[in-house]
Amino acid sequence: MKDTLNVMMLSWEFPPRVIGGISPHMYFLSKSLAKNGVKVHVVTCDFPGAPTNEVIDGVEVHRIDSYKNPSPDFATWVYLMNLNMQKEAAAIVARLPEKIDVFHAHDWLVATASIGLKHVFRKPLLATMHSTEIGRRDGLHTNTERMIHETEGWLTYEAWRVICCSDYMVQHVKWAFGLPHDKLVMVPNGVNPHVYDDLEKQDLKAFRSKYALPEEKIVLYVGRLVYEKGIHVLINAVPKVLEKVNAKFVIVGTGYMKEQLANIVKSMGLEHKVLFTGFEEEANVLKLQKIADVAVVPSLFEPFGIVALEAMAAKSPVVVSDTGGLSEIVDHEYTGMKAYANDTESLAWAITKVLLDENLRRRIQENAYKKILEKYDWNKIAQQTRQTYEGVIGEYSKSFWA
Amino acid sequence: MRVIIFSWEYPPRVIGKLAEYVSNLSARLVKSKVETYVVTYHDTMTGVAEESNGVKVIRVANPVQTHISLLTWVLTLNQEVERVASNVFYQTKHIDLIDVHDWHFVPAAVTLKNALGIPFIYSVESLEDHRSPSANQPFNMAIRGIEWLGFYEAQEVSTKTEWMQGEVNRLYQVPKEKIRVITPNVNSWIKNTIETYSSAVETGVKNK
Repeated sequence: MKDTLNVMMLSWEFPPRVIGGISPHMYFLSKSLAKNGVKVHVVTCDFPGAPTNEVIDGVEVHRIDSYKNPSPDFATWVYLMNLNMQKEAAAIVARLPEKIDVFHAHDWLVATASIGLKHVFRKPLLATMHSTEIGRRDGLHTNTERMIHETEGWLTYEAWRVICCSDYMVQHVKWAFGLPHDKLVMVPNGVNPHVYDDLEKQDLKAFRSKYALPEEKIVLYVGRLVYEKGIHVLINAVPKVLEKVNAKFVIVGTGYMKEQLANIVKSMGLEHKVLFTGFEEEANVLKLQKIADVAVVPSLFEPFGIVALEAMAAKSPVVVSDTGGLSEIVDHEYTGMKAYANDTESLAWAITKVLLDENLRRRIQENAYKKILEKYDWNKIAQQTRQTYEGVIGEYSKSFWA
Repeated sequence: MRVIIFSWEYPPRVIGKLAEYVSNLSARLVKSKVETYVVTYHDTMTGVAEESNGVKVIRVANPVQTHISLLTWVLTLNQEVERVASNVFYQTKHIDLIDVHDWHFVPAAVTLKNALGIPFIYSVESLEDHRSPSANQPFNMAIRGIEWLGFYEAQEVSTKTEWMQGEVNRLYQVPKEKIRVITPNVNSWIKNTIETYSSAVETGVKNK
């Protein structure tokens, strides 16, 4: 095995472009791979003000023209963006002094670009499936959803290995696309606990007072306001929690359910207890996670649940729904609390219990932080990813493509 | 000379006039000692087939069966075109030129050019502006964008009439010197085609 591996990773988001969880995943994975002797070229969509080419922490980042003409719809935009991405990535690979050993695609959003690159350069392709259309939508209901589902299936077919971030996703992806088990690899997602280090010494009282009264406990939600995230379950649990505890619900994020949720809160007469902050800057999110008395992740579908890990790294106790990747991250009453998914009563019970039981709070905080350091360390994840690349390159070297 | 022709229609799949045209062209090229492959679409007759006239036809199906428009259908079919064209490239070690007919497989031609240094000619049968006059929807703009990309990246452009040469020049500001008029089905047809191919190969090698 040669010392340096050359990998081209493709994704539709990379900081400063942050839409969902793929962007931070890309950032930490590529950076940690670079530290483990892997030369990474990231090809991603452009972003206002971000340079076309730059080196960040040893990672070569190439930002492509992401098709800015009006598009008929989101899915068509994805394919049009992929046309540009493939064209530019092909030119980059052709002019590099070193050869790319592996292409690594993140989600269907870069499927067509990656599949084409695999064939024109005859190099192995790996795919990380961060989510699936059939999971996001709880079934396939429209032609757009079916088209996306088939594109995901095609990507997993073309990929030499499919990486999933949880055992749950391994099973789900295997079922959704009928894949053989030995094609799937579980490499967990990671979290960087050091981003909270500086906040440890800071006095956050003034910051806190912008969000809640001193006597109010802070119940924090961070995520998109969409159905699959179960935010409506949390909103419905608000009055039940307030019966027992004086709390402020801070809801960070935005999404198509925003207005609907605000109306529910209004009709309950609890506008003074629920604060919709909208999109918050990362620095503020970190502080909120630090000061939260409990962080809630009430998802109905959750391939992984990075936001729960972040809260655990910030030493905030977590309440999660017992579903998907969250079930694996949290051990009930040990590293957090689990509630039944889509169950208001159960969620309210778990939140109330954490807020009222000081011993439980302290115990789950400490255990959760320990688990973060042991299992979700980016350096370990990078090593597991590198091993996966090496396994594929080893098999490839015996194939007629080599 | 080894050439791959890209066309979204080829017999038995006949949509418009392009199928018959490409069929005649490829047969005549083989007769003139040009090794000719045609890459085209068919849902069931997939794979490589050598016709009695010596043309090697490779038909690909779309891996994604459900679509919301012609555009999404085209954009997922191109990777299969890239796959089989690359197979020819790696098996034969060299392709001199790709001749892409109309916009559908322009994305594949552009990627193959960027990745493997194979120059291409863009042969124009029709333009989106004529097919959908005054249609300014994002759908039409995207197709026009792909046509524009083809004109920009092509080594040379060929049209069948002087009128179309003028239209490509007027609508896409392609300099007339880059656009060759090759009149089909006349004595000079194949001679002019091969001349155009040779010139594109020559300038393509120079630009590499």
